[in-house]
Amino acid sequence: MALDPQSRIRFNLEGAAVLLVDETPMGMSILVSVVTGLGAKLLYRCSTVEQAQEAVAQHHIDLAIIDGLAPSGAGYDLVKWIRQNAREPNCFAPILLTTGHTPANDIVRARDCGGNIIIRKPIAPIVLLERIIWASKEGRPYLFSETYVGPDRRFQDKPPPSGTGRRRGDAAAAAEAAPEAVAVDDAMAADIDRKAGLAS
Amino acid sequence: MSIRIVVPKLRLAQLLRMPGGLPVVDAVANAERNLATLRPTCEAELLALLELCEQSFATLGEEFDDAGLEKIYAIAVRGIGGGRICGAPAVDTALISLCDLIDHLRSTARYDRKAVGVHVSSWRLLMGAGLPEAGAAAVLDGLQRVSLRYAEAPRDD
Repeated sequence: MALDPQSRIRFNLEGAAVLLVDETPMGMSILVSVVTGLGAKLLYRCSTVEQAQEAVAQHHIDLAIIDGLAPSGAGYDLVKWIRQNAREPNCFAPILLTTGHTPANDIVRARDCGGNIIIRKPIAPIVLLERIIWASKEGRPYLFSETYVGPDRRFQDKPPPSGTGRRRGDAAAAAEAAPEAVAVDDAMAADIDRKAGLAS
Repeated sequence: MSIRIVVPKLRLAQLLRMPGGLPVVDAVANAERNLATLRPTCEAELLALLELCEQSFATLGEEFDDAGLEKIYAIAVRGIGGGRICGAPAVDTALISLCDLIDHLRSTARYDRKAVGVHVSSWRLLMGAGLPEAGAAAVLDGLQRVSLRYAEAPRDD
């Protein structure tokens, strides 16, 4: 995930609507300074959960940076509320949780609230930028279950479990098991190619 | 239990790739410049929190005082992050150590008023200008050792 602070690679946060939640004036000033420095222009600054819920209900949000609000941990409940109650697309918005300290009895709550990632304070601009870019990557599934709503937490890029082949070998295995089904798939593929003018 | 899986299209991914924007190096420099302007305000806010913390410590009970510990935790956690801006990053580490300590004490119902006190007085020391880096490192090392003493669950024997 490391991003070189000297990199000339460009990114554009100008058009992004960013929700910032921190109850302390100092915490909010730090967040605003970092996020505007990174180029964001449209910010919704909220110091309470209620203000944040109102902003999420009224505006389109592309990114949220939410403090856990220790010791109450109300920030975690806000994230859960966004995942479970906000309308699309806000319920899918990348959410970065910030925290100065997480009490031991709140660690599970922080893990299970549905945030994309947790960033420990003090926040360095390069770290925040890395996490924004990481959380914005497409293709990460979101799960909706009775106990958890949020991004799939299994995101490690690991090879298939031992004893399992690569997915590209599935077709050959399936052909061996059920040759007719694969033949139908092949015929459909050829038909699609023909209609698209790709058949030889 | 049923699970629904959705792979959403994130507008942020598209926005980040839009033409224009900033190179990483410039954006990070802008952010650091913005943070530097906050230094006087952050110093004032950290000092105000420190004074509140000292007042709360003065009224902290001699016996296990859960409400008093909770109050000090709530003050300390609000200050974390400000030290880096004020050019005193050791303050952030000391505050994290204080929060760790209080969390350990409260979750295991143990009590060490002196350990809390040494953290509060170190906060004042680390806020002061002129403390050499080696001195700050030694203070932090001592604080973390105090805090770690309570990290393990108490033994029954």
